[in-house]
Amino acid sequence: MIGLIFNGVWSQYTFARAAKYRALYRLIYVHDLDATQLEGLEALVIPFQSNQVALSARKELIYDFLAAGKKVFVEGDSSASWLDARWEDRPVNNYWWVTDPDNPPVSATDYTHPVYQGLKPRHACWHTHGAYTRIPEGAEIVQTNAAGEVISWQTGTYGGTLFATTLDPVVEHGIQQITHLDNYVDRMTAWLCGKTPAGEFTFAAADFGVTPERALA
Amino acid sequence: MLQAAVYSNQIVGLEDYFQSNPKVAYHFLIVDGKTRHDLRPYDLLIVPNGTDQIAVGRLKRDIHAFLDAGKTVFCFDGWFTDWVPGNQWVMDNSRKTINIRYTVRSDRHGLFDGISVEDFTFLHGMSGWWACGYINPAPAADVVLEDTWGRAIIVLDEHTTPGTLLLTASGPLGDSSYGLTDNAGTFASLARFYHRLLDRLVIPTPVS
Repeated sequence: MIGLIFNGVWSQYTFARAAKYRALYRLIYVHDLDATQLEGLEALVIPFQSNQVALSARKELIYDFLAAGKKVFVEGDSSASWLDARWEDRPVNNYWWVTDPDNPPVSATDYTHPVYQGLKPRHACWHTHGAYTRIPEGAEIVQTNAAGEVISWQTGTYGGTLFATTLDPVVEHGIQQITHLDNYVDRMTAWLCGKTPAGEFTFAAADFGVTPERALA
Repeated sequence: MLQAAVYSNQIVGLEDYFQSNPKVAYHFLIVDGKTRHDLRPYDLLIVPNGTDQIAVGRLKRDIHAFLDAGKTVFCFDGWFTDWVPGNQWVMDNSRKTINIRYTVRSDRHGLFDGISVEDFTFLHGMSGWWACGYINPAPAADVVLEDTWGRAIIVLDEHTTPGTLLLTASGPLGDSSYGLTDNAGTFASLARFYHRLLDRLVIPTPVS
């Protein structure tokens, strides 16, 4: 089971409630995050549009989780207050495949990384939310943009594996406007928990119009 | 000057959309699933795109009291919890975005007068970029904008409560469209529409 740190954002919710992923991801409301919530999890995903202030206040839990040999996957923006890296915002180009299809926002990818093995270039990057201008010493670079800025990186410094990317697979897949994201998210999920998602990305009407407590159940 | 409260779950870029100006002063209220806020000083409550719907759901009674006082709520987000009286957003991916076209159905306030609906449908030639899913509207609510299949995308509800609800099916709007799009025409249309909402739907509280 993968823990999905939840900032109450609708696309994080729709992703975790989709039939294809709901048995593999457990929503953990960021304001309820404690050691008990992390028990039994194999990995954590911190998606785009997370609450960086709340995460900073609970950063010891994240590093304790890593120290136990687990995986943490950070998407989109992040904060130097809890991550030893510098994230900077950049304009989002989500139409390059229409206007300039030979020039995607990521120009180099390490396709030997398990998340990226077998992916086509257009599956390995749809758009980015910013870039890393500093990453931890010794971290491996997995993706860069044309300017040479880091898009994805990982490190084993903290015990387990910390992977960070400015891609936004969970939020964008929850939005369901890009149809090929199963390729990336399924590989990411398999890498994180060893299980490959199966089935369709469908929603249940019963998951909408619910109380907050029911949404978190 | 209008006084607007904006719920904030501290996502990146949020405050760029709502910069105070001579027309409206924005006040960001941090939500964390526990804290309550005094909404009485505000004319308008904004639930922006990407809000914490768990926290907002827990503030349901305060929001209903705000509406009962005749105030206005804008929700530009996908509200999966049950805090909006009479109306419910539902996510749906059964229709292809390439087939999405929006049309104005009922616009008693002229909210779309002189504003291109095409800019809500298309961005760089791609359709279906702005909103996701649809709204099941309250029986007496106006469906301002509908999609190809007649589903509600923007709803104005002046009947379910003493106040006013303006709801989008998760379509983002802001005082400035900074970050929403780099297309100049779309930028202008979304920002103009938002200011039309302020001008025609929000009643400032008289200053005594």
